Amino acid sequence: MSDPSSINGGSAVAMVGKDCIAIGCDLRLGNQSLGLSNNFEKIFQFGDKTFLGLTGLATDVTTLSEVFRFKNNMYKLREERQIEPKTLANLVSSTLYEKRFGPYFVGPIVAGLDSKTSKPFICGFDLIGCIDFAKDFIVSGTASDQLYGMCESLYEPNLEPEDLFETISQALLNAVDRDALSGWGAVVYVVTKDKVVKRVLRTRQD
Amino acid sequence: MNATVASEYSAEVHSVPIEHRFNPYSDNGGTVLGIAGEDFAVLAGDTRQVVGYSINSRYEPKIFDVGDDIVMTANGFAADGAALIDRFRNQLKWYKFDHGGKKLSIKSAARYIQHLLYGKRFFPYYVSTLIAGLDDEGKGAVYSYDPVGSYEREQCRAGGAAASLIMPFLDNQVNFKNQYEPGTDGKKKKELRYLTLPEVLDLVKDAFSSATERHIQVGDGLEILIVTKEGIRTEYHPLKRD
Amino acid sequence: MNSISQRYTHANNNSVMNEIDSARSETSGNHQLELAPSIQLPPISQPTDFLRAHTDDASNPDCKIKIAHGTTTLAFRFQGGIVVAVDSRATQGNWIASQTVNKVIRINPFLLGTMAGGAADCQYWETWLGTQCRLHELREKERISVAAASKILGNLVYQYKGMGLSMGTMICGYTKKEGPALYYVDSDGTRLKGEMFCVGSGQTFAYGVLDSAYKWDLTIEEALYLGKRSILAATHRDAYSGGSINLYHVAESGWTYHGNYNVGDIFYDIKEKEQSFNNVDG
Repeated sequence: MSDPSSINGGSAVAMVGKDCIAIGCDLRLGNQSLGLSNNFEKIFQFGDKTFLGLTGLATDVTTLSEVFRFKNNMYKLREERQIEPKTLANLVSSTLYEKRFGPYFVGPIVAGLDSKTSKPFICGFDLIGCIDFAKDFIVSGTASDQLYGMCESLYEPNLEPEDLFETISQALLNAVDRDALSGWGAVVYVVTKDKVVKRVLRTRQD
Repeated sequence: MNATVASEYSAEVHSVPIEHRFNPYSDNGGTVLGIAGEDFAVLAGDTRQVVGYSINSRYEPKIFDVGDDIVMTANGFAADGAALIDRFRNQLKWYKFDHGGKKLSIKSAARYIQHLLYGKRFFPYYVSTLIAGLDDEGKGAVYSYDPVGSYEREQCRAGGAAASLIMPFLDNQVNFKNQYEPGTDGKKKKELRYLTLPEVLDLVKDAFSSATERHIQVGDGLEILIVTKEGIRTEYHPLKRD
Repeated sequence: MNSISQRYTHANNNSVMNEIDSARSETSGNHQLELAPSIQLPPISQPTDFLRAHTDDASNPDCKIKIAHGTTTLAFRFQGGIVVAVDSRATQGNWIASQTVNKVIRINPFLLGTMAGGAADCQYWETWLGTQCRLHELREKERISVAAASKILGNLVYQYKGMGLSMGTMICGYTKKEGPALYYVDSDGTRLKGEMFCVGSGQTFAYGVLDSAYKWDLTIEEALYLGKRSILAATHRDAYSGGSINLYHVAESGWTYHGNYNVGDIFYDIKEKEQSFNNVDG
């Protein structure tokens, strides 16, 4: 298959809980059937409580993560404050739309807490920047169908951080286990008002 | 070899036959699901039938009692599914005529369906087939097939349009995949056990309401056929119609 | 091509009766037994193009009928017989259709067939091969040789050459006169006798491990472990291989099953014990 968004494989998911959010991704990077790396994180942190997940074509994932690192640094210098999740979402959207007719082959998701109100925020995008605001969860990547099924059936609103971690982990793990191009390790970030916890999950290695 | 000529509506007399593009398949959506318990088995399916973005019917059952306490479904292209089930039913009838009304075991039914499907290896039935019933020991059995007849007995299987949404959920909730005993630091797996019928029915309902939420070809109604040693029972639950 | 079409299109619809009829005519005559069933073809001039358009996801990714694919299988001969090891994953595109496929077909107590390529093709024709081997026994009052068994399959797939069958199989067995024998048969019609074969999308990874540690003098235990370890390496690197590993040993008393090993479980055990797979954390 020569579909750019499923050459390298990979998936990501984000969920909203009670005053917290969680975002997770797998660690695989492959060239079609050949697994190349089991250490390819697809989640990038911007500021204390703002996260960006990028799935799709690996070259675009890396390029875009650097583009947003640059833009985020410029934002910090100019504004003398950290970027809000909502602001990052609009930045992602406009950056992607600049390449409307020669897009980056990515499926970004943004998750975080507002620095003032601590209100959870998550959203997803298509590859040219259309924002999908969601109250519950956002999925992306080669296992997105499987993630939709898992999230839709496991998710419930207002989960405490620990329960949210369990829910997103089960959703991610079981989804990537049904996708040939995702897996090979996983990470989950749980973000609450006063801390960010990163956990690496032990997964099947096939 | 005779070449295929692009067809045009002209009055010319052709020396070679004109062949229009032969596309005998369409996709009627829908999704199905089978789970085997210790002494029962269920087959469930939504009752929506679509073609493209149109809904043909909000109630077109696709799970059938085919006799001998076997339930069967062939999801995908509805015409092929109906043809396959008709053929199986008919053959079962003849089997009974020829063998003094002998009951066909689910194992034999499973093998026979492989032959029906493989018999069209080069012109396949566009369906994913499931059968469910009780085996010779009275244990629940589900058999699943690919379109050309490779088959396997399983504890659970989702087929059709939303299979990719439902199957990982089943791995997690029926076979307890990725689940561990609390407090063992992921050293001890959650032990496998047979689910009870009420548990299974709850899972089926959750699976279908979730699939309905995220898949446009799934919805309207959920029909569940339950096989126990008492026979076959049907349940219907409404699903969202949007 | 069309001669096959004619043979099968007008065949009687009742395939069971066909089989019985042809079995009857066989007992009276002595020509090639036609237990091969009637297989319907689409009513057009180029059935193969039709089939490719609708089922070959390599040439047409949007095709509707996806046939299960993807595998790693291996078998090798050594001092103590033959070891057969296979994975258990079936994929349709990137979707993992099953993690519990049985890719070793027990043709009879002395013969094993492995399965790579089209799941249905292998399952169907190797069980069919089982019936052919049984009929050979009844006729000849002697067990069929592995050479003959593999040739029956080889000839069968050759008849269908170009029609889209997809199989890469190893026929493994033991007879008095041949000893442990191993044949590779694929749907192109290739039939090779050999010491060692790996077949499927993960074959190269399996060869890598197998070649590095293979010796004729392996003990049975060592050989079984090497088989398992080679498949494990393949399931790790090849996206289309995985699930669990099935192990078999073939010797003069027939084959013995040596268990099913879930890759999810044994991977970390072996990693820790061997201090291998250092690319993986944990």
